[in-house]
Amino acid sequence: MSLKNDKFPASAAFDAISQALATDADKKDAIKQGNAVFAFTLKNTAGETESWHIDLKNKGEVGKGLGEKPTVSLTLSDADFGNLVTGKANAQRLFMSGKLKIKGDVMKATKLDPILKKAQTKAKL
Amino acid sequence: MSFLGGAECSTAGNPLSQFAKHVQNDNSLQHDRLVGRGPNGALGGFRSAGRSTPQDEMMNGFLHQTPNMPEMPLEHQGPMGHAHVHVDPHHAVHLRAKSTSPTWAGDFQNPQAAMEAAFNVPPGTQFSADEFSKFQQMNGSASSSHASPMTGGGMMSQAQRPMMAGGGMMGMGMGIGGMSYGMMQRPMYQPMSTMYGPQLSQQQQQQQQPQHHDQALEGKGKGKVVELDDTKWEEQFAQMELHNQPDEALAMEPELNKMDEELLHSETGYGDLESIWRGLQNEQEAMKDMDVEEDFAKFDSSNFGGDNLGDWGMHGRIGADPPIQDYLFEDENMFQDQPNPFEEGVRIMSEGGNLSLAALAFEAAVQKNPDHVEAWVYLGSAQAQNEKEEAAIRALEHAMKLDPNNLAAQMGLAVSYTNEGYDSTAYRTLERWLSVKYPHIIAPQDLSSAAELGFTDRAQLHERVTNLFLDAARLAPDGDHMDPDVQVGLGVLFYGAEDYDKAVDCFQAALHSSELGASNERSQIHLLWNRLGATLANSGRSEEAIAAYEKALAIHPNFVRARYNLGVSCINIGCHAEAAGHLLSALDMHKSVEKSGREKAREILGGGDNLTDARLEAMTTQNRSTTLYDTLRRVFTQMGRRDLAEKVVVGVDPDIFRGEFDF
Repeated sequence: MSLKNDKFPASAAFDAISQALATDADKKDAIKQGNAVFAFTLKNTAGETESWHIDLKNKGEVGKGLGEKPTVSLTLSDADFGNLVTGKANAQRLFMSGKLKIKGDVMKATKLDPILKKAQTKAKL
Repeated sequence: MSFLGGAECSTAGNPLSQFAKHVQNDNSLQHDRLVGRGPNGALGGFRSAGRSTPQDEMMNGFLHQTPNMPEMPLEHQGPMGHAHVHVDPHHAVHLRAKSTSPTWAGDFQNPQAAMEAAFNVPPGTQFSADEFSKFQQMNGSASSSHASPMTGGGMMSQAQRPMMAGGGMMGMGMGIGGMSYGMMQRPMYQPMSTMYGPQLSQQQQQQQQPQHHDQALEGKGKGKVVELDDTKWEEQFAQMELHNQPDEALAMEPELNKMDEELLHSETGYGDLESIWRGLQNEQEAMKDMDVEEDFAKFDSSNFGGDNLGDWGMHGRIGADPPIQDYLFEDENMFQDQPNPFEEGVRIMSEGGNLSLAALAFEAAVQKNPDHVEAWVYLGSAQAQNEKEEAAIRALEHAMKLDPNNLAAQMGLAVSYTNEGYDSTAYRTLERWLSVKYPHIIAPQDLSSAAELGFTDRAQLHERVTNLFLDAARLAPDGDHMDPDVQVGLGVLFYGAEDYDKAVDCFQAALHSSELGASNERSQIHLLWNRLGATLANSGRSEEAIAAYEKALAIHPNFVRARYNLGVSCINIGCHAEAAGHLLSALDMHKSVEKSGREKAREILGGGDNLTDARLEAMTTQNRSTTLYDTLRRVFTQMGRRDLAEKVVVGVDPDIFRGEFDF
């Protein structure tokens, strides 16, 4: 049961994030860190939108749809999301340039960074 | 407009040209932009000549002198580039149009007169030591008079760049007599343009450089300059922020802040759950086939720290800061019976030995003496180099708990936080570092609060801290004597904002500085090379990154992090097999200690039947580096080798891959 939607290529990342939350220990760690439900709405080039959520408050799971009571909702394009998860773009910049829209508890959005970093392959200072 | 002929470009010993450059620095820009208030502010720029009559006379006087000028440069050196000259009209106009400072003329005139008095030197004279020191005093007083307007954010470095470029082209402007002003150029310039300082000093020895320099300056300056009036920058900045921010988010913020407060209150109960959870985790792991009594003893002591949430200003678990957790010690430690494990650890590190081994030594040291701050710092540093970031953070935080003003721990933490994505925490830590080392730039009581920050606030915090660091960098007398630690701090700040070019400059400055700081002492240089490499890598300059990593590894072949980074760069250039090789060799460095540790453990525990591998495994694996395993898995997947990818689980022995890869 894959979370990926072929019309949204970057959504494969949700599967990867889901894998990173495979064990109970991982889930607990992530919940401790995120303590929020992050909802993502991606828009692809055709103009369609689709949502996923990363629940780091209750279950430590990734699922389709907005989830129940998302703490913070992020809206961005599929391409930008792709860059975000690979580390080519950073959330701060996307937000400041208006490419990433945040609704809900904006303060919690910064908690995404450490979580995303784990999925990225970047050089370490 | 090349009054000086080629002299403008010359930075190498031609006093007049340097004077020219100096004068040409459009200081009104600095007046306008709060940050720029450096020593240059005193002298004003070309523009002022147009507006103020005393300057006109001087200007004319100077202009009359110009026929003499071309000779000087020729005496001193060969070809001067004229290339930069053309740049400036844009900037000149650009700058002029935007100057709004009302006070520049006043600022300009006073120090002007004073300086003139001090510098009645006929053209062509080599400057002497006294002039230079007089200059420095002047410099000092001028800059202190501008010190207050100077504080506060702003795009100083950016402002300077167009300024310098503009300066290059504009004529003698001030017409301030005295060639020795040229000398002022050099020392004053460098503190101002912090990271460009070292570039400049190199250029002073190379004749071709001036062209590149100015062009480079111009290139970097373009498009980044934000016009901020010095007195109203804060309002303007706030307005800009609002302008950029999505309206909904803005409107919601006050409500959200309220919500946050409520959340904060409801979360305090969570704290207890955390320590209980952690305790349970520890217990579970330890319980696996281990003696029960030993376990409970360890369980108690390791949870001891759980309640005092290291209150060095960070309410860790509630904000976007990383949750502060206790360090997890390896259960079996061959150094436990050693008389002085700390010294052993230090020796291992200085000899470039295995980092896991060094970490074990330091673990033993702090277990023997939990208040040994230095040992905690070394432990953190060793684990970071060993690519075990979480362990490093825990150790360094513990060090901070014991000594909140420990500079090494603070810098190490700032780097680790940046790596892990806790940007705001990293910036606050750097701010704190600065308040300890340079309390006159920021007093410890003025530190930013540890509140949770959204993206906009984080950007403001970043701005603030960067400017403070720039202030510190400006204190350096010249490019060779910069405080390398400040440069590293700046580098980390720029890296965090993805301003990679500037970050590269900073790390290079730290490497070239002749001043001895913590960052560039011999035993730490490999770290600098790695930092430089990582910055290059993350900005797409993979080949240069690889060269930097090789330098780091040449100094310290067991530097696991550099090897990991090398692997990442190989992935980036598409050499997956090589990347796998590097990652595997890094894992091997971890395993080798585990294996020898196991042998030792077997000896200690008398070997025998109850010593299963599983049990030994449990003994030597508290802090596993998931980064290495995750990245290895990714490489295998990218290579299309799912079979290999599936074999990679945390703790797998790299040996099983030896057949396929060289390492």
